[in-house]
Amino acid sequence: MNNILSYEEENILLIQVSGLTHAYDNGTGPIVVLREVSLGIRRGEMVAIMGPSGSGKSTLLSILGLLMSPTAGSYTVLGRDVLKFDRSSQATFRRTYVGFVFQRCNLIDTCSVYENLEFPLIYAGVKRSERPERIQDVLARVNMSHRLHHRANQLSGGEQQRVAIARALVNNPLIVLADEPTGQLDRMHGELVMDHFEQIMSDGDKAVLIVTHDAQVASRCTRVCLIEDGVLKSI
Amino acid sequence: MQRRRYLGVILAVALGTAGFIAIVTMGRDVKKTLNRDLDLLGGANLIMAYLDAGHKYSKMQQFQPETIDALRALPGVEAVSAIVSKPSSHSSVQRHNIGFHVVGADGFFWDVNSFTPVKGSFFNAEDISQKRRVCVLGTKLALRIFGDVDPVGRMCWIENEQYRVVGVLGGVAVGDLVDFGFIPITTAIEYIPGLPPPYKIYIRCTSWDDVKRVADAIPDVVHRHQLTDSLRIEVRWEELKRVKSMAWWVELFVYFATVSTLILGGFGIWNGMMATVKTRKAEIGLKKAIGAEDRDILAQFLVEAVCLSFTSALLGGVLGLGALEIGSYFLKSRPHDTLFLACVGLALLFSLVLGAGAGFYPSIRASHMEVVDAIRDE
Repeated sequence: MNNILSYEEENILLIQVSGLTHAYDNGTGPIVVLREVSLGIRRGEMVAIMGPSGSGKSTLLSILGLLMSPTAGSYTVLGRDVLKFDRSSQATFRRTYVGFVFQRCNLIDTCSVYENLEFPLIYAGVKRSERPERIQDVLARVNMSHRLHHRANQLSGGEQQRVAIARALVNNPLIVLADEPTGQLDRMHGELVMDHFEQIMSDGDKAVLIVTHDAQVASRCTRVCLIEDGVLKSI
Repeated sequence: MQRRRYLGVILAVALGTAGFIAIVTMGRDVKKTLNRDLDLLGGANLIMAYLDAGHKYSKMQQFQPETIDALRALPGVEAVSAIVSKPSSHSSVQRHNIGFHVVGADGFFWDVNSFTPVKGSFFNAEDISQKRRVCVLGTKLALRIFGDVDPVGRMCWIENEQYRVVGVLGGVAVGDLVDFGFIPITTAIEYIPGLPPPYKIYIRCTSWDDVKRVADAIPDVVHRHQLTDSLRIEVRWEELKRVKSMAWWVELFVYFATVSTLILGGFGIWNGMMATVKTRKAEIGLKKAIGAEDRDILAQFLVEAVCLSFTSALLGGVLGLGALEIGSYFLKSRPHDTLFLACVGLALLFSLVLGAGAGFYPSIRASHMEVVDAIRDE
């Protein structure tokens, strides 16, 4: 299942979205969240998606991470229509190709940093003997090695976000989806988090999509898209 | 979700209430019945076999020792006792004759009839083998002979021979035997003139369930060891039926209470797991977002439910062991350890089934949760 996408085709877009529409019914009638969204992202790009609250940013990110399905449109990754995946293949796609960073970090408080980072490796079927080295490596990239055995709720907000980034990277994904990763951090820690994202991009192999309200964050991205009332525009 | 959780709680409370009502109401009746039938318990699993002379001019037959040994070897037989008796013995006290029944009993007589002395002790195997002139008197007979004086250690006359009183037999279970005198069977044969041979035996079965099987087997065993055409068997079928019926209700009551408790436990697990799934919705969503498949989530919650149930059963095993120790101390009897271990094993096995059964639905719900709904739950 790990080769559900092909790495060989260098020239094709990593992510291609066309005519993506998402609507739901709240009982009084259909609410359209995304309208005909089209977007292409290449490897090495760090794209910021900005827009007011309720404009559909997080919904777009959820669809790109296969956390939900759109009402209409197509979505391909390396040319493969991932919307046709069954539940099992969607899970495989998420653990193999996607790393999520959430606004609230979403670490499991009762588990240690090590255990939080071990979960994606367990689900990816990484051998127990290989896990410590991979966890140490990825923690070193976000300068959190010294917190390996601390519980998640013993970390500061900035430290938790760095662990969340490490968790997103531990399976070495092609796509990193970050939903307001600096939303709950002060300026200094926000800058540090962005430094880490830039570091992630340095190998030129991955793509990072960051949903943000923060113009400062957007300014450090290679491209900025604006979404208003479900309509996506490039700036 | 909320409604289903409430349903679990309602079912659990309803079952608990039903169990409580059953214990309070049925328990009172069961206790009442138990008290009424308690005096039958000793006699219901007792079989009397005798060789009937048939005609008063016919020669009296007797049970041979090898027949008695063969009956003792029957499965379900706890003890067999042979007796001889003479209905018109007499004792002389201050030149007054007192008539009574004298019974020559072997060493098993007391156990077979579940008798215990109210004073002194019963004669023992040595008294029997040495044909000693010792006797045990029923309470009424002792009163008639000795009045208010303690008879133990005193001498009395039976059929013109002097006997030392070693004990007094009494109590509710004794019945008419309070007016009987008991001497060793060997002594009776030696010293009591005109005594019929041992034509009557008492057989105590291990349990009520053994009575019919043993009663059916007796004729075959007797006829294999001696020639007789006058075997008669008496079983207290009516008492046995009542006792078995009472025991059946007690068992049913206990099983009902036990099963109710287990079902209650199952609903407790179910309800607890439903609550757990709800409170850990964000964790489920997160794990799915980082790549967990439905079956990973299903396995996680199922294992948790089974562990919960298994740990409860282990704790139950420890409490059961404590109860066993206390019960053994007071009852002066202890069941086999293998039986206890088998019960614990069965309970642990059942707990696995219970945990898996009760945790299955909550686990299914957790595994089928939509990722985006779960992850936004916070």
